[in-house]
Amino acid sequence: MNKVSLSAQHLVKHYGGVVALADGNLEVNPGEVMTLVGANGSGKSTLGKIVTGVVAPDGGRLLLNDREVVFRTPHAARELGIVAVYQELSLVPRMTIAENIWLGHEWERAGGILRDAEMRQRTRELLALFEGTTHNHLDPDLPISALSPGEKQIVEILKALSWQPSVLFLDEATASLDSRQVNRLFDLIQDWKRQGMAIVFISHRLDEIYRIADRVTVLRNGRTVAAAPISDLSKQELINLMIEGGVATRTNGKRSESYAAGEEVLRVESLSTTTLRAINLVLRRGELVGLGGLQGQGQTELLLALFGAIPYTGQIYLYGRPATLRRPQDAMRHQIAYVPGERNTAGLLPIQSILDNLLLPSWKYYGFPLRIRQAQADAMAVAGGGLKLVMAGLDQPVNTLSGGNAQKVVLGKWLLRRPQILLLDDPTKGVDVGTKGEFYKILSDLRAEGTAILFYSTDDEELLGLCDRVLVLHDGKITAELSGERLVHSELVAAAMGSST
Amino acid sequence: MKAALNFGLLRRLGRQYFLFSLLLLIVGVVINASLQANFFKPIALVGLLRTYLPLVLLAAGQTIVIIGGGIDLSVGSVVSMVNVILVTRMGAEATQSQVLMAVSLGLLAGILAGALNGACIAFLRFQPLVTTFATSSIFAGIAVWILPRPGGSVPESFMQPYRSSPLGITFPLWVILGVALIWWYLRSTRFGRYLYATGGDAYSAYMSAVPVEWIRFFSYVASGLMAALSGLLLTMSIGTGSALIGLDMTMPSIVSVVLGGTALSGGGGGVIGTILGVFILAIIRNIISFANVPSWWQTLVNGLAVMLILAGPGIWALIRGRRDS
Repeated sequence: MNKVSLSAQHLVKHYGGVVALADGNLEVNPGEVMTLVGANGSGKSTLGKIVTGVVAPDGGRLLLNDREVVFRTPHAARELGIVAVYQELSLVPRMTIAENIWLGHEWERAGGILRDAEMRQRTRELLALFEGTTHNHLDPDLPISALSPGEKQIVEILKALSWQPSVLFLDEATASLDSRQVNRLFDLIQDWKRQGMAIVFISHRLDEIYRIADRVTVLRNGRTVAAAPISDLSKQELINLMIEGGVATRTNGKRSESYAAGEEVLRVESLSTTTLRAINLVLRRGELVGLGGLQGQGQTELLLALFGAIPYTGQIYLYGRPATLRRPQDAMRHQIAYVPGERNTAGLLPIQSILDNLLLPSWKYYGFPLRIRQAQADAMAVAGGGLKLVMAGLDQPVNTLSGGNAQKVVLGKWLLRRPQILLLDDPTKGVDVGTKGEFYKILSDLRAEGTAILFYSTDDEELLGLCDRVLVLHDGKITAELSGERLVHSELVAAAMGSST
Repeated sequence: MKAALNFGLLRRLGRQYFLFSLLLLIVGVVINASLQANFFKPIALVGLLRTYLPLVLLAAGQTIVIIGGGIDLSVGSVVSMVNVILVTRMGAEATQSQVLMAVSLGLLAGILAGALNGACIAFLRFQPLVTTFATSSIFAGIAVWILPRPGGSVPESFMQPYRSSPLGITFPLWVILGVALIWWYLRSTRFGRYLYATGGDAYSAYMSAVPVEWIRFFSYVASGLMAALSGLLLTMSIGTGSALIGLDMTMPSIVSVVLGGTALSGGGGGVIGTILGVFILAIIRNIISFANVPSWWQTLVNGLAVMLILAGPGIWALIRGRRDS
């Protein structure tokens, strides 16, 4: 492997009048894992995109082994061994795993015919790196559309690896992986380090940063404010560096003691779908119940079934009465709201304004007769009030918002309808620490007002810190219900792996 | 051993996108044969092949564009344009070199037409539907300008190959075989891979260093060339010229692609399915004409049959989904 050290110095990037990066510095050497941390909007994605050739900088310079380089395209960076796994996937759904991994650098024989058999063989070897961590056996000929989000992420990582990188960027690459897959990835990263690869790891999960990093670079408001060995910083110190003014307050909701007395708003009896098997659960007023477990064990399907978006068998009782949910409209009529996991495709109309997105589910109330001023006022109250949305105005398109802010809009459009039951599908995926804190605050406020919340998260700390009870799913069944004393990390992990009693 | 081989072949067939089209074609053939006594006689089959060969080439080009995520509404006009160029450049007494000249000119016109579409859509980022609709009028206009009134003729020697049967196999079958082989080759190259990637997810393709714009451009050039070849074959078949001759071929070319199992959303399907699609369309028309449907109902029945077939996979999925839940 080529040993390459990469150094970005005083990088600057403007988008119109907005300064995305004011003074970005990053240095990574062969055989080390550098983590890049910062709140949303701190410029870490921009820094990553400049270094991997996706975006051209307005100032500053890039040094590769002390020689200045300029990348005009991602491909130029890749040819010099700098390869990135981006947060948004770059896979073509209808093509197979092997076709996707080699897309853009296929092996050819004379006459331009592709060496398919050899590429499939090499793909098999790459897939073997994650052998045993995926629900399905991954075959090179499987189409991407048949894979779970975690499996797609694995293919994305292997695709980057197929370029034989000297410097590997992992931008939120663990966001949709389950704990087993993350462990495997970290083992692999240790191997790659030994071989001399330089790795830049971008993550919002502090645990992971402390497990894998050698050094850490902290960005705040477009400036690199610190670069230090990870062992020199405590978690609290790191969070302080990331947050303006250095004040860190984790606003995890405190457990309410009296939820058991609350009235039942949702009862599910032997609910089954193509993936779920005989789910029973009860949700009470003012209760925050978590859904845990490995990725893709049916958590999303459970939320979708309760929102009437996929067909199910079994009985659902709402507010004590049997209910049939055939379409999302049925669920909405019963004041159920659902915040989907894929915010860009299922949660938002990206090119529409914040206002249009917020009001979309509420036109029934504002539309007949049309009360546009009232609608606007209410939207403003939600956006500026509970959500603390960072925006130029309500008519700003949502695709110009950062991930955390966009997710707040998804939540906000349902808050306008004042839901009794709120279903959340991994809402803090890829959201920075600061916004996560605000999210937790919103959720605990809602719970205090009596909203029943069913909350799926891939982040164990979130489940432990926020929920009154956690239901752990494994292979479409609830395998454990953890509350009180049993709501601890070891129990959660054990149940997730399916080894619980 | 042989059983295992057959089983493997069947399984591979079962995974193909054109399975439904193949079943449909078989059903169509059975119905047609029961209505038309001489259907399996060579004369009827060869007649069918000769009639629909130009559409096979046209639809094959259309398939490439559609896989790449676009659509080409100008193919019919390119056929007309090439037809009138050939007829006006030749005449009944043309020498070999004049014929060659005319053919080169015709093919060049097709390539240029495709390049115009491709440049507007790939590099200037015009909408494919609107762009090719507009250029379709331009090409049709050029055709009328070249040959205002139908007529003209071509040398007998130019038409002769179309009716020939080299090695005992009729000419249209050779051409179809050639199209299938060229397609198989394209599919096995980088261009093929990039075409599916561009149509499947252009952003992902771009992020993977696929030259998305050039792939789009060349998909339209390929379509233009195939339309020109289609015009060439049509001229060989009928031996005369008309500026309106390709007008009714655009929609059938798109319908054939869809009947062949290629989704209009791009990124899937293939030319083999389209070849089946053309003959499904041919059989439907044949059945209608042999089933003694009154002529004023034919268009309606034709349309209904196509709609039913297009809805087939969807209805099937609906039935299956209901049973599962």
